Amino acid sequence: MISSVRRALLAASFSCAFACSAGAQNYQDLIKPNPNNWLHYNGTYDSQRHSLLKQIDTGNVANLKAEWIYHMTGAVDLEAVPIVVDGVMYISQWNRVEALDARTGRLIWQYMRQPFTKGWQRGVAVYNGKIYIGTVDSALIALDAKTGNLIWESKTVGEGYRMLGAAPLIAKGKVIVGGSGKSGGWVQAFDAETGKYAWTWNVIPKPGEKGVETWEGDSWKLGGGPIWATGSFDAELNILYWGTGQPGVDFVGEIRPGDNLFTDCIVALDIDTGKMKWYFQNTPHDVHDWDSEETPVLIDAMFKGQMRKLLIQANRNGYFYILDRTNGKFLQGTPFVSQLTWSRGLTEDGRPIVVAGSAPTVEGSRVCPSTAGATNWPSPAYSPDTKLFYLVVQEGCGITYKASNNFTAGQSGSGTGYIESPIDQENWQLHVRALDLTGKTVWSYKQVSSKHYGPGLLSTAGGVLFAGEQQGQFTALDSTTGKVLWHFNTGGLITAGPSTYSVNGKQYVVIGSYANYIAFALPDAVIRDAAAK
Amino acid sequence: MKLYFYCLLGAAIPVFAQRPDSANTPNPNPFAGNSQAIADGREVYNDVCTACHGPDGAAGDKAIALGAPARRYSRNTDREIFDAITKGITGTMMPPNRVSENDAWKIAAYIRGLRGTAKDTPARGNVAHGEEIFWNKGQCGTCHMIRGKGGLVGPDLSDVAAIRKYSSLVAALTKAQHRVATDGGTHDSALTPLASYQPVRITMADGKVLQGVLRNEDSFSLQVFGSDNQLYLLDRDKLKEVYYVPTSLMPTDYDKRLTKEEFQDLMAFLTRQALPVPRRP
Repeated sequence: MISSVRRALLAASFSCAFACSAGAQNYQDLIKPNPNNWLHYNGTYDSQRHSLLKQIDTGNVANLKAEWIYHMTGAVDLEAVPIVVDGVMYISQWNRVEALDARTGRLIWQYMRQPFTKGWQRGVAVYNGKIYIGTVDSALIALDAKTGNLIWESKTVGEGYRMLGAAPLIAKGKVIVGGSGKSGGWVQAFDAETGKYAWTWNVIPKPGEKGVETWEGDSWKLGGGPIWATGSFDAELNILYWGTGQPGVDFVGEIRPGDNLFTDCIVALDIDTGKMKWYFQNTPHDVHDWDSEETPVLIDAMFKGQMRKLLIQANRNGYFYILDRTNGKFLQGTPFVSQLTWSRGLTEDGRPIVVAGSAPTVEGSRVCPSTAGATNWPSPAYSPDTKLFYLVVQEGCGITYKASNNFTAGQSGSGTGYIESPIDQENWQLHVRALDLTGKTVWSYKQVSSKHYGPGLLSTAGGVLFAGEQQGQFTALDSTTGKVLWHFNTGGLITAGPSTYSVNGKQYVVIGSYANYIAFALPDAVIRDAAAK
Repeated sequence: MKLYFYCLLGAAIPVFAQRPDSANTPNPNPFAGNSQAIADGREVYNDVCTACHGPDGAAGDKAIALGAPARRYSRNTDREIFDAITKGITGTMMPPNRVSENDAWKIAAYIRGLRGTAKDTPARGNVAHGEEIFWNKGQCGTCHMIRGKGGLVGPDLSDVAAIRKYSSLVAALTKAQHRVATDGGTHDSALTPLASYQPVRITMADGKVLQGVLRNEDSFSLQVFGSDNQLYLLDRDKLKEVYYVPTSLMPTDYDKRLTKEEFQDLMAFLTRQALPVPRRP
């Protein structure tokens, strides 16, 4: 006798066999994704990385088992977040995309493009039957989702030399990518159907443009503000939100007096035109390479008694920011690390009050957090259920050097380096931390032996927070308490963010670990129990 | 018998190998790779250059460190360093120096070595006597092994001169809080064994206490080499306490327990402990 659950699974299986749509997601699908799919680098346009799937929950996650392992031959340092559409998973490395059967990990197609290379690359985007990826040589390509065949290839505009490693973002028929050239970072848009160039927004202003007055003399020519992470999007407001990188010659501030706009900013861009609607600069005149690439997370929540459209970001400089995302107004900023020495706090406009003597020196200057950052690009998560913001925190300090007191604008390089503080109490240590919207730490989970930079997070409606540990453990935490519920040693360094999806009634959680993707699910008996509940 | 843990000598650091000036240009330095000349270069450097630069490549009162970790230098080849020494650097306080041409090349070889490892800057001294100190008076061999001989609880030192800098070896032997800092410019791309030899005191569920050094750990398990030379595989949630002993068990008073000559000879021995680099087949 076939049980009702088995019948449901079979029915779903047949329906997929006839109707797997191979990436045929339209704009409405992207705005409100089917929870069975994982369509964006950060799950949804708001970058909350919160899945509505709840088959795996706090009560049964201890039963989670590895379903399959896919070894991406020749790959290293996997950082791509698997994108899943109707049972097909898309994974990537530089100039390489592979499509897998998301139930079994079996390869369906592989696309490779010269120049062949390997190393970190953070994923693809999907839209209307196509897969989009930036390449190591600054091109943007679209592949047919069913076959991996090339549909179009466009070169990004300008003298771009920076590798396009971040996953693109697709919205309103446009592919949005960030990058960097000699004169600075940029965000560019291309038509998703044809690859035709649409617009550019440049991080570094030129003479006559707003913001150039924040670079003394012609120091704007130093450039900087590279963009190498994926932003967020609010379809209702028609606004893209993106973080920008640090000013040129990272650690040498005296050759570029001023705030150096629009480096280290969160910017709001009109998706139709690329025009900037507002900006908020986290670290004016940065000398520590504290870029603002950290994910801008969009939430609608009660804040100080009022329902607000918020943008929240834990910044590399150690402050957790809450902004009004309709206008960029600073609402709150609180430290989320125990040691923050470079600033005495923030003004009511959110500008840091800088402590004298915290800038890099030739001899080396101690600063907390270090240049590695109080957090970094690995994605945070937000649960509308617990109303907690989850992030990977790096405690500790660093010593920052600059190469010379006589650095001139023509010299190349970042001007220096940094090291971990040699003092035991200031060594780097990663934690997963839950903050509420007052900035208070609700719980903190120490990832023993892990530091610099750690993987991203995934929140689920099952009350489980999935967190890879840099040292290879893939761990499930209780979203409310931070208690460990399950863990699995993947055997490789984890620097990727996890994603979750469902095929034929079975929820999977998948993580990249060094050169392998590993998918986990509950045993069928446990799924039946979950269904019965 | 009191058991010492000579723990820090072998901890990993970034390796900067000595390179030719470029792929196509032979190194013009007649003393490149000449250990005696490099040792001479150290003496001349510490005599002539430390008025501004610090001793042994550290930062000085007036000028930068020439062998700082995580630092990128604009003059990297022997020729560039030689030119800086003999001609000075325009627009800076660096003057032309009146050292002989030979000494300038020796200093250049030494500075290159500072950016390399101890085998690139071998110490002068009686190597055979240094070896005797290692195995006897210094008791180094109680915990450390060299080419299959010696103790087990400290890092193997057979290749220590190829992975540690000269200054780092001295610091390990003489500085109580010495430890190797992580180079911030890089981050791990693979899982590696713990290199810290962190001493631990672990209280088991039954109250028994285990002392030893950590070989590895994560949030859930520990791999400990006990002071009884046994390997212990432990689950964190079954332990009462894991106490991380804050100071290394490595003695750091070798500048006091040895005479100046003995210390120098020990350094001469240690800075020559490097395994041959295999040739490409």
